[in-house]
Amino acid sequence: MTSALNTFPVTQMPADGRYGPAGTQGVSVRVFDPPALALLAARRGGASALTVAAHATLGLALADTPRLTRANGLATIGAGPGRWLVLAEAPEDLAARLAPLAAHAAITEQTDGYVGFELSGARTRDLLAKGVTVDLDPAAFPPGAAATTNVAHINVTFWREPGDERFGFLVARSYRVAFARFLIASGAEYGIAFAHRG
Amino acid sequence: MRIPCPYCGARDASEFAYLGDATLTRPDPAAPDADEAFHAYVYLRDNPAGAHSEWWYHSAGCRRWVKVARDTTSHAIAGAELAGGAR
Ligand SMILES: [Zn+2]
Repeated sequence: MTSALNTFPVTQMPADGRYGPAGTQGVSVRVFDPPALALLAARRGGASALTVAAHATLGLALADTPRLTRANGLATIGAGPGRWLVLAEAPEDLAARLAPLAAHAAITEQTDGYVGFELSGARTRDLLAKGVTVDLDPAAFPPGAAATTNVAHINVTFWREPGDERFGFLVARSYRVAFARFLIASGAEYGIAFAHRG
Repeated sequence: MRIPCPYCGARDASEFAYLGDATLTRPDPAAPDADEAFHAYVYLRDNPAGAHSEWWYHSAGCRRWVKVARDTTSHAIAGAELAGGAR
Protein backbone atom coordinates (compact mmCIF):
# COMPACT_ATOMS: atom_id res chain seq x y z
CA MET A 1 0.00 0.00 0.00
CA THR A 2 1.36 3.42 -0.85
CA SER A 3 1.33 6.25 1.63
CA ALA A 4 1.90 9.96 1.20
CA LEU A 5 4.67 9.58 3.74
CA ASN A 6 6.60 7.38 1.30
CA THR A 7 7.26 10.47 -0.81
CA PHE A 8 9.20 12.20 1.99
CA PRO A 9 12.65 11.17 3.17
CA VAL A 10 12.57 10.01 6.79
CA THR A 11 15.02 12.80 7.57
CA GLN A 12 12.71 15.59 6.33
CA MET A 13 9.55 17.10 7.80
CA PRO A 14 6.43 16.15 5.81
CA ALA A 15 5.05 18.94 3.66
CA ASP A 16 2.28 21.17 4.96
CA GLY A 17 -1.05 20.05 3.62
CA ARG A 18 -3.97 17.71 4.10
CA TYR A 19 -3.55 13.97 4.45
CA GLY A 20 -6.31 11.37 4.26
CA PRO A 21 -9.69 11.03 2.55
CA ALA A 22 -11.01 14.11 0.77
CA GLY A 23 -13.68 16.07 2.60
CA THR A 24 -12.71 14.95 6.09
CA GLN A 25 -10.78 16.82 8.76
CA GLY A 26 -10.72 15.20 12.16
CA VAL A 27 -7.39 16.52 13.40
CA SER A 28 -5.41 19.70 12.88
CA VAL A 29 -1.66 19.87 13.66
CA ARG A 30 0.37 23.06 13.94
CA VAL A 31 4.14 22.73 14.32
CA PHE A 32 5.90 25.60 16.07
CA ASP A 33 9.28 26.63 17.43
CA PRO A 34 8.95 27.54 21.12
CA PRO A 35 9.33 31.35 21.42
CA ALA A 36 11.49 30.72 24.50
CA LEU A 37 11.89 27.64 26.69
CA ALA A 38 13.93 26.79 29.78
CA LEU A 39 14.17 24.04 32.38
CA LEU A 40 13.96 25.05 36.02
CA ALA A 41 15.39 22.45 38.45
CA ALA A 42 15.28 23.14 42.18
CA ARG A 43 18.58 22.82 44.00
CA ARG A 44 18.78 20.05 46.59
CA GLY A 45 16.36 20.83 49.39
CA GLY A 46 15.38 24.08 47.70
CA ALA A 47 12.02 23.30 46.11
CA SER A 48 9.95 25.18 48.68
CA ALA A 49 12.26 28.23 48.60
CA LEU A 50 12.07 28.18 44.79
CA THR A 51 8.27 28.01 44.88
CA VAL A 52 8.13 31.02 47.21
CA ALA A 53 10.63 33.03 45.12
CA ALA A 54 8.90 32.21 41.83
CA HIS A 55 5.61 33.47 43.20
CA ALA A 56 7.08 36.59 44.82
CA THR A 57 9.30 37.73 41.93
CA LEU A 58 7.55 36.40 38.79
CA GLY A 59 3.99 35.69 39.92
CA LEU A 60 4.35 32.02 38.95
CA ALA A 61 2.45 29.30 40.79
CA LEU A 62 4.80 26.29 40.64
CA ALA A 63 2.75 23.21 41.51
CA ASP A 64 4.92 20.18 42.33
CA THR A 65 2.76 17.95 40.19
CA PRO A 66 2.44 17.22 36.45
CA ARG A 67 0.30 20.24 35.59
CA LEU A 68 0.51 23.30 33.33
CA THR A 69 -0.23 26.70 34.83
CA ARG A 70 -0.01 30.09 33.11
CA ALA A 71 0.84 33.55 34.44
CA ASN A 72 2.44 36.71 33.04
CA GLY A 73 3.08 35.26 29.59
CA LEU A 74 4.73 32.09 30.89
CA ALA A 75 3.47 28.52 31.08
CA THR A 76 5.10 26.26 33.66
CA ILE A 77 4.80 22.52 33.16
CA GLY A 78 5.69 20.08 35.94
CA ALA A 79 8.29 17.64 34.53
CA GLY A 80 9.31 15.83 37.72
CA PRO A 81 9.64 16.51 41.45
CA GLY A 82 11.19 19.96 41.75
CA ARG A 83 11.51 20.37 37.95
CA TRP A 84 9.50 22.54 35.55
CA LEU A 85 9.65 23.43 31.89
CA VAL A 86 8.98 27.16 31.42
CA LEU A 87 7.48 28.03 28.02
CA ALA A 88 7.10 31.68 27.01
CA GLU A 89 4.21 32.86 24.82
CA ALA A 90 6.42 35.37 22.96
CA PRO A 91 10.16 35.59 22.23
CA GLU A 92 12.09 36.92 25.21
CA ASP A 93 15.33 36.54 27.12
CA LEU A 94 13.98 33.86 29.42
CA ALA A 95 17.30 33.24 31.19
CA ALA A 96 17.40 36.89 32.19
CA ARG A 97 13.80 36.87 33.37
CA LEU A 98 14.36 33.73 35.45
CA ALA A 99 17.73 34.92 36.81
CA PRO A 100 16.22 36.03 40.16
CA LEU A 101 15.53 32.33 40.80
CA ALA A 102 19.14 31.23 40.25
CA ALA A 103 19.88 30.98 43.96
CA HIS A 104 17.20 28.29 44.27
CA ALA A 105 17.30 26.51 40.90
CA ALA A 106 19.47 25.46 38.00
CA ILE A 107 18.15 27.25 34.90
CA THR A 108 18.89 25.62 31.55
CA GLU A 109 18.05 27.34 28.27
CA GLN A 110 16.15 24.86 26.03
CA THR A 111 14.60 27.05 23.32
CA ASP A 112 16.35 25.29 20.41
CA GLY A 113 16.12 21.85 22.03
CA TYR A 114 12.43 21.24 21.44
CA VAL A 115 9.77 21.60 18.77
CA GLY A 116 6.13 22.19 19.67
CA PHE A 117 3.05 20.52 18.17
CA GLU A 118 -0.50 21.82 18.73
CA LEU A 119 -3.18 19.21 18.12
CA SER A 120 -6.89 19.95 17.90
CA GLY A 121 -10.01 18.57 16.32
CA ALA A 122 -12.79 16.14 17.11
CA ARG A 123 -10.68 13.01 16.41
CA THR A 124 -7.54 14.11 18.27
CA ARG A 125 -7.98 11.56 21.06
CA ASP A 126 -8.62 8.79 18.52
CA LEU A 127 -5.27 9.62 16.96
CA LEU A 128 -3.49 9.81 20.32
CA ALA A 129 -4.99 6.49 21.43
CA LYS A 130 -2.62 4.87 18.93
CA GLY A 131 0.44 6.03 20.83
CA VAL A 132 -0.35 7.45 24.26
CA THR A 133 -0.73 5.02 27.18
CA VAL A 134 -2.00 7.73 29.56
CA ASP A 135 -5.78 7.91 30.15
CA LEU A 136 -6.92 11.04 28.25
CA ASP A 137 -10.57 10.99 29.29
CA PRO A 138 -11.36 14.53 30.50
CA ALA A 139 -12.28 13.10 33.90
CA ALA A 140 -8.75 11.71 34.29
CA PHE A 141 -6.83 14.26 32.21
CA PRO A 142 -8.63 17.63 32.42
CA PRO A 143 -7.40 20.95 30.97
CA GLY A 144 -4.04 21.78 32.53
CA ALA A 145 -3.12 18.14 33.15
CA ALA A 146 0.35 17.30 31.79
CA ALA A 147 2.49 14.19 31.35
CA THR A 148 5.99 13.23 30.30
CA THR A 149 5.85 9.84 28.59
CA ASN A 150 6.80 7.86 25.50
CA VAL A 151 4.67 8.04 22.36
CA ALA A 152 5.69 5.64 19.58
CA HIS A 153 9.07 5.28 21.37
CA ILE A 154 9.51 9.08 21.29
CA ASN A 155 9.78 10.91 24.61
CA VAL A 156 7.34 13.82 24.86
CA THR A 157 5.95 16.26 27.39
CA PHE A 158 2.35 17.16 26.66
CA TRP A 159 -0.71 18.75 28.23
CA ARG A 160 -4.39 19.39 27.58
CA GLU A 161 -5.42 22.94 26.76
CA PRO A 162 -8.78 24.39 27.80
CA GLY A 163 -11.51 23.90 25.21
CA ASP A 164 -12.49 20.97 23.08
CA GLU A 165 -9.85 18.35 22.35
CA ARG A 166 -6.79 20.59 22.26
CA PHE A 167 -3.35 19.31 23.28
CA GLY A 168 0.17 20.77 23.24
CA PHE A 169 3.30 18.65 22.82
CA LEU A 170 6.99 19.37 23.24
CA VAL A 171 9.30 16.94 21.40
CA ALA A 172 13.10 16.90 21.31
CA ARG A 173 14.08 18.62 18.06
CA SER A 174 15.93 15.62 16.63
CA TYR A 175 12.74 13.52 16.98
CA ARG A 176 10.40 16.03 15.33
CA VAL A 177 10.30 14.23 11.96
CA ALA A 178 9.58 10.86 13.57
CA PHE A 179 6.83 12.42 15.68
CA ALA A 180 5.31 14.21 12.68
CA ARG A 181 5.27 10.92 10.77
CA PHE A 182 3.57 9.19 13.72
CA LEU A 183 0.90 11.91 13.73
CA ILE A 184 0.23 11.72 10.00
CA ALA A 185 0.30 7.92 9.82
CA SER A 186 -2.07 7.68 12.80
CA GLY A 187 -4.34 10.59 11.86
CA ALA A 188 -4.71 10.18 8.10
CA GLU A 189 -7.76 7.93 8.40
CA TYR A 190 -9.61 10.80 10.13
CA GLY A 191 -8.30 13.46 7.75
CA ILE A 192 -5.41 15.51 9.13
CA ALA A 193 -4.37 19.06 8.32
CA PHE A 194 -0.64 19.47 8.93
CA ALA A 195 0.99 22.90 8.93
CA HIS A 196 3.81 24.93 10.40
CA ARG A 197 2.71 27.91 12.46
CA GLY A 198 3.97 31.03 10.77
CA MET B 1 2.45 -4.32 33.88
CA ARG B 2 1.78 -0.76 35.00
CA ILE B 3 3.87 0.82 37.75
CA PRO B 4 2.27 3.53 39.93
CA CYS B 5 4.86 6.31 39.88
CA PRO B 6 4.17 8.62 42.85
CA TYR B 7 4.72 11.70 40.65
CA CYS B 8 3.50 10.64 37.18
CA GLY B 9 0.75 8.14 37.97
CA ALA B 10 0.34 4.60 36.60
CA ARG B 11 2.67 4.01 33.64
CA ASP B 12 3.65 1.07 31.46
CA ALA B 13 6.71 -0.83 32.67
CA SER B 14 8.44 -0.01 29.35
CA GLU B 15 8.91 3.57 30.61
CA PHE B 16 11.13 2.29 33.43
CA ALA B 17 14.60 0.78 33.73
CA TYR B 18 14.98 -2.04 36.26
CA LEU B 19 17.80 -2.10 38.79
CA GLY B 20 16.71 -4.85 41.17
CA ASP B 21 16.73 -5.60 44.89
CA ALA B 22 16.09 -2.44 46.95
CA THR B 23 16.86 -4.11 50.28
CA LEU B 24 20.63 -4.37 49.76
CA THR B 25 23.15 -1.81 50.98
CA ARG B 26 26.29 -1.06 49.01
CA PRO B 27 29.28 -2.38 51.02
CA ASP B 28 31.95 -0.14 52.46
CA PRO B 29 34.80 -0.15 49.93
CA ALA B 30 37.30 0.62 52.72
CA ALA B 31 36.34 -2.41 54.83
CA PRO B 32 38.92 -5.23 55.11
CA ASP B 33 36.49 -7.74 53.55
CA ALA B 34 35.44 -5.36 50.74
CA ASP B 35 36.37 -7.78 47.92
CA GLU B 36 34.15 -10.56 49.23
CA ALA B 37 31.41 -8.15 50.24
CA PHE B 38 31.28 -6.58 46.78
CA HIS B 39 31.30 -10.01 45.11
CA ALA B 40 28.26 -10.97 47.17
CA TYR B 41 26.59 -7.59 46.56
CA VAL B 42 27.05 -7.66 42.80
CA TYR B 43 26.69 -11.38 41.94
CA LEU B 44 25.06 -13.37 44.75
CA ARG B 45 21.52 -12.04 44.38
CA ASP B 46 18.42 -13.83 45.67
CA ASN B 47 15.61 -14.60 43.27
CA PRO B 48 12.58 -14.41 45.55
CA ALA B 49 9.16 -15.81 44.60
CA GLY B 50 6.56 -13.52 46.14
CA ALA B 51 6.89 -10.16 47.85
CA HIS B 52 9.92 -8.16 46.70
CA SER B 53 11.21 -4.62 47.06
CA GLU B 54 12.79 -3.27 43.87
CA TRP B 55 14.32 -0.17 42.30
CA TRP B 56 12.81 1.09 39.04
CA TYR B 57 14.07 4.21 37.27
CA HIS B 58 11.36 6.25 35.52
CA SER B 59 13.55 7.16 32.58
CA ALA B 60 10.72 8.20 30.23
CA GLY B 61 8.79 10.18 32.84
CA CYS B 62 9.95 12.12 35.89
CA ARG B 63 13.56 10.77 35.78
CA ARG B 64 13.37 9.66 39.40
CA TRP B 65 14.15 6.33 41.07
CA VAL B 66 11.08 4.62 42.49
CA LYS B 67 11.08 1.91 45.17
CA VAL B 68 8.33 -0.54 44.24
CA ALA B 69 6.83 -3.32 46.40
CA ARG B 70 5.97 -6.00 43.85
CA ASP B 71 4.89 -9.64 44.07
CA THR B 72 7.17 -11.44 41.60
CA THR B 73 4.68 -14.26 41.07
CA SER B 74 1.60 -12.13 40.28
CA HIS B 75 3.08 -8.69 39.39
CA ALA B 76 0.66 -7.21 41.93
CA ILE B 77 2.12 -3.94 43.23
CA ALA B 78 1.47 -3.10 46.87
CA GLY B 79 3.07 0.36 46.87
CA ALA B 80 5.67 2.70 45.40
CA GLU B 81 7.67 5.62 46.74
CA LEU B 82 10.23 8.04 45.34
CA ALA B 83 13.83 7.38 46.32
CA GLY B 84 15.07 10.18 48.52
CA GLY B 85 11.56 11.51 49.10
CA ALA B 86 10.51 14.94 47.90
CA ARG B 87 13.08 17.50 46.82
ZN1 LIG C 1 7.56 9.19 37.22
